[in-house]
Amino acid sequence: MHIAEGFLPPLHAAAWTAISLPFVIFSARRVTRLMQDQPQTKLLLAASGAFAFVLSALKLPSVTGSCSHPTGTGLGAILFGPSVMALLGTIVLLFQALLLAHGGLTTLGANVFSMAIVGPWVAYAVFHGTLAINAPLAISVFLAAMLGDLATYAVTAGELALAFPDPVSGVGGAFIKFAAVYLPTQLPLAVIEGLLTVVTVNLLKQYSRNELDNLAFALGGAK
Amino acid sequence: MQAIDHHAWTNHWRDRHPLEKLLPALSLLVLTLALPPLKIGPLALAGATLATVCGAGIPLKTALSVLAAPAAFLLAGVPFLAISLRFNDGFSLHFSPEGLQLALETSVRALAAVSCLSFLTLTTPLADWTPLLRRVGIPAGIVELILLVYRLIFVFAERALTGRQAQTARLGYSRLDRSVRSLGLLTGSLFQRSLEQARRLEIGLAARGYSGDLRVLQPEHVLSWPWLLWAMTLVGLVGLAGYWI
Repeated sequence: MHIAEGFLPPLHAAAWTAISLPFVIFSARRVTRLMQDQPQTKLLLAASGAFAFVLSALKLPSVTGSCSHPTGTGLGAILFGPSVMALLGTIVLLFQALLLAHGGLTTLGANVFSMAIVGPWVAYAVFHGTLAINAPLAISVFLAAMLGDLATYAVTAGELALAFPDPVSGVGGAFIKFAAVYLPTQLPLAVIEGLLTVVTVNLLKQYSRNELDNLAFALGGAK
Repeated sequence: MQAIDHHAWTNHWRDRHPLEKLLPALSLLVLTLALPPLKIGPLALAGATLATVCGAGIPLKTALSVLAAPAAFLLAGVPFLAISLRFNDGFSLHFSPEGLQLALETSVRALAAVSCLSFLTLTTPLADWTPLLRRVGIPAGIVELILLVYRLIFVFAERALTGRQAQTARLGYSRLDRSVRSLGLLTGSLFQRSLEQARRLEIGLAARGYSGDLRVLQPEHVLSWPWLLWAMTLVGLVGLAGYWI
């Protein structure tokens, strides 16, 4: 769920940009160091960024009339970890704004915060948290992708609520309002994204084990 | 996506220096956000669309279709700004006049802002931005990463489309459960092929002495100061008009 260009008041847009910036700069530093140590990571990251963008252009089967797409947040967080996802997600969001007019430049900060920072961190925490208590891989992947998706959507609703508080019941009322509007579409979508990610991860585990191990992805250690 | 990129490479203003398009468009965007939306909004919307259609020669239909996606987002979200929620006894929904005003202002502001953005995306290919990104201090490695992503997007999009067609032809999307499975498999195989592509690129580049630096020729654009001044004056006039009306 991208917040459209110009939808947020200028002050909020600037504030979200300021909040997201340190995360993205930290991530950029880390990625730059990775790329200097091993030049081939650049190609790998580029392929993954392009993959995430194409993924977001694939339409999911329409649920409750809305046509939506997988976010890939969960998959990315599981494969690369959240500190790389902040930069990769920012690049993908920038491309979505410039190639699809989806999202925008002034709302980039707000979208980055919900989709490239909070979502991946939640997915990553859930994935490793559930694996730590010996949950089966499929369950961890499902929960990570689903909760990552829901977290993204809750943060977006929060951003909208802070920008447009309800005249009577304030930010709390506005949050309930926005959350309720998007819940009927976002909940089934999150479940579908969870299932989708399980299918994907199973396929990768079965046929790309070597690549995943070689690239030292988090999956190598799982079950 | 293909349509936007196609027009970005072929429009009348393709060979203008990117700054000549970026500065006026961003200034107009800032004005749209800063000034009262109901006054500046329609002017900015008209100005940006006029520049896109008459100046850069993009068909009106394409310009409007770019506006359609954000417009759908607005339609879904904006009506709820005009409704307020109260918690006096249980909870109840009320229509609020100031909310309606806010909803109207927000949609006008967003539409105007999107038209500025779509002017930029429809007139300037992404590859043209990279020298500017370097100039504002983004590390060379990250800029190269952005260029590589841009290149690979179109390669993968074609693959995804082919895979999807093949799956559809085999009834892979005839039911919801099948759709989920098909899309999951498509995603997985797309990722595998992406890794493969990255490895092939790596080998190919290593064979050519790649050491972490991709050198490409940038097309040379000459910055025309009179053109830039003229465009900025027009934007300033739009701003003044929005301020005084």
